[in-house]
Amino acid sequence: MVGVMNIINQLPHRRMEAWKWTDVSRAVPEGMPGLSLAMAPRFTPPAGISVMQGEGATSDTVMGKLAANFAGQSWNFHVPANTHPADSLLIENLISGHGRITIKLEKGASLTVVEHHKGADKSFANIDMQIHLAEGAKLTRILVHDDPETATRISTASLTAEKDTKFEQYVLSFGGALFRLETRLYGKGEGIEAHMNGAYLLSGDKHTDMTSHTELSHPNCHIRQSVKGVVTDKARGVFQGKFHVEKEAQHTDAEMRHDALMLSDRAQIRSKPELEIYADDVACAHGNTIGALDESALFYMRQRGIPLAQAKALLTEAFLASVFDDMADEDMKASLMKQINQWLEASYGF
Amino acid sequence: MLDLSFLLFGRGNYQIDWNKIMLKINDLHAVVGEARSQILTGLSLKVPAGEVHAIMGPNGAGKSTLSYVLTGRDDYEVTEGTVELGGQNLLDMEPEERAASGLFLSFQYPLEIPGVPTMTFLKTALNAQRKARGEEEMGAPEFLKKARALAKELKIKPDMLKRPLNVGFSGGEKKRMEIFQMMMLEPSFIVMDETDSGLDVDALRIVADGVNSLRSPDRGMLIITHYQRLLDYITPDKVHVLAGGKIAASGDADFAKLLEKEGYDKYAA
Repeated sequence: MVGVMNIINQLPHRRMEAWKWTDVSRAVPEGMPGLSLAMAPRFTPPAGISVMQGEGATSDTVMGKLAANFAGQSWNFHVPANTHPADSLLIENLISGHGRITIKLEKGASLTVVEHHKGADKSFANIDMQIHLAEGAKLTRILVHDDPETATRISTASLTAEKDTKFEQYVLSFGGALFRLETRLYGKGEGIEAHMNGAYLLSGDKHTDMTSHTELSHPNCHIRQSVKGVVTDKARGVFQGKFHVEKEAQHTDAEMRHDALMLSDRAQIRSKPELEIYADDVACAHGNTIGALDESALFYMRQRGIPLAQAKALLTEAFLASVFDDMADEDMKASLMKQINQWLEASYGF
Repeated sequence: MLDLSFLLFGRGNYQIDWNKIMLKINDLHAVVGEARSQILTGLSLKVPAGEVHAIMGPNGAGKSTLSYVLTGRDDYEVTEGTVELGGQNLLDMEPEERAASGLFLSFQYPLEIPGVPTMTFLKTALNAQRKARGEEEMGAPEFLKKARALAKELKIKPDMLKRPLNVGFSGGEKKRMEIFQMMMLEPSFIVMDETDSGLDVDALRIVADGVNSLRSPDRGMLIITHYQRLLDYITPDKVHVLAGGKIAASGDADFAKLLEKEGYDKYAA
């Protein structure tokens, strides 16, 4: 076991390439609540799915190792072959401490996981999720994050995906003192289809980092990733995305986009898209834009009588909406858009 | 002529002294952009309620600048002079306040607003204006009914109203959409900036019919145009030549034809 005193030394810091824009060790003062405790999440599983505590899968990331040290046993979920629970697995109360969650979908099974990440004042949370998708399984993951300006949180999900699996991820983050969402996808078979979308809306002194790492080693995989961000005040948005395509992974079709709106001179956006490709017959692309709202469009809207703040909100909402376009659950989509609206009303002031 | 009698309803209890509605521009000087180029150099003009005035002039005379100064666009700075609409000082107001007080600009190049459906945009605009005037908001059923009827008159496909505003519309469709918005919003003073550019004859007739149907004793209009063509369909009460940043000459409707024939050369100096 690692002692409390030297946890800080083990936290990722800016001199590590993958953490250069998200320095956890600096954000975490000694004695921060949750730093050496196990988390007590609340699960509402769908009918037929039960939660068991057990060893769980191991992780080799820095934060995963810390979670293994302090969280104790993992909360394990198992979806039997060809079962399709009608309801979602709801995960809440991820307030502070270290937590481990393992989700296994057997052949042809499907599941939707909905996570609410919300901390308390000055809390520290570290969640490590290990997911395995057996052949033909389908997982939809929806994550909503909204921390106080003083809370630090790292949420890592590592997935191993076998042949013909589908993974859909929708993330909506309103930031915290420091938030890192890391998604690691390891393809272990052909024909994997993954959509990994996210939006971050940050005001004040908040920070959200959306990092992903996708490794493909089999042919015919299809990956789509679109992350959009809005930063105001002194907020900081980070996007890091990597596609690693092995030479066996021919006919990979992968696209990565990050588009951000910077609405204040003091806000920051940092972006690092990376493609590492060893196969010679693939379509891999990335795009990255940072911009402001279109002044001419704003004037046009005001000339029609729409007040400036409301015009900005309409344009911003329209900018972000595409991230959630493909969501099958219309109610969930409406709920996410409503939260975006509330943020826009509060931040733009109308 | 279009049957637009239904536009007369829905004004609620809002009381306006229509006799006062008039655009009064006095000795207007304006500079544009960071370079602060002097574009308007002492422009004076009065448009009484119920009249349609045309402003013609060579390229670069300040025609579009005038429309942006009236509507309050950033980067267009008034250095001298006054502008009143219906007795209110326009220059003290934000663009959206000017719109709510009844000023409408039909843009030479209407903007595309990606991601915002036309109906959402227009309903937001209409109700923002009503709210600013202290009127009750228009409910969805009434709004839809009015919009559908008007779209039909203007030969706008219902499908276009669901699409993001002006995105992928042709030049003619965009201009028709400007007229649609104008008729939905029922402004008391209308400025049309080069509305005829990009229109074929059929579209021009639809646009002109729409504009003519809005002519009324309580509404004023300013039609800014380079060519006389639009004035074959909308007969103005007065025609002014804008040259060198001010009104260089004025006349009646026939004056436009003369200008078309003789050109603007003699006013340029």
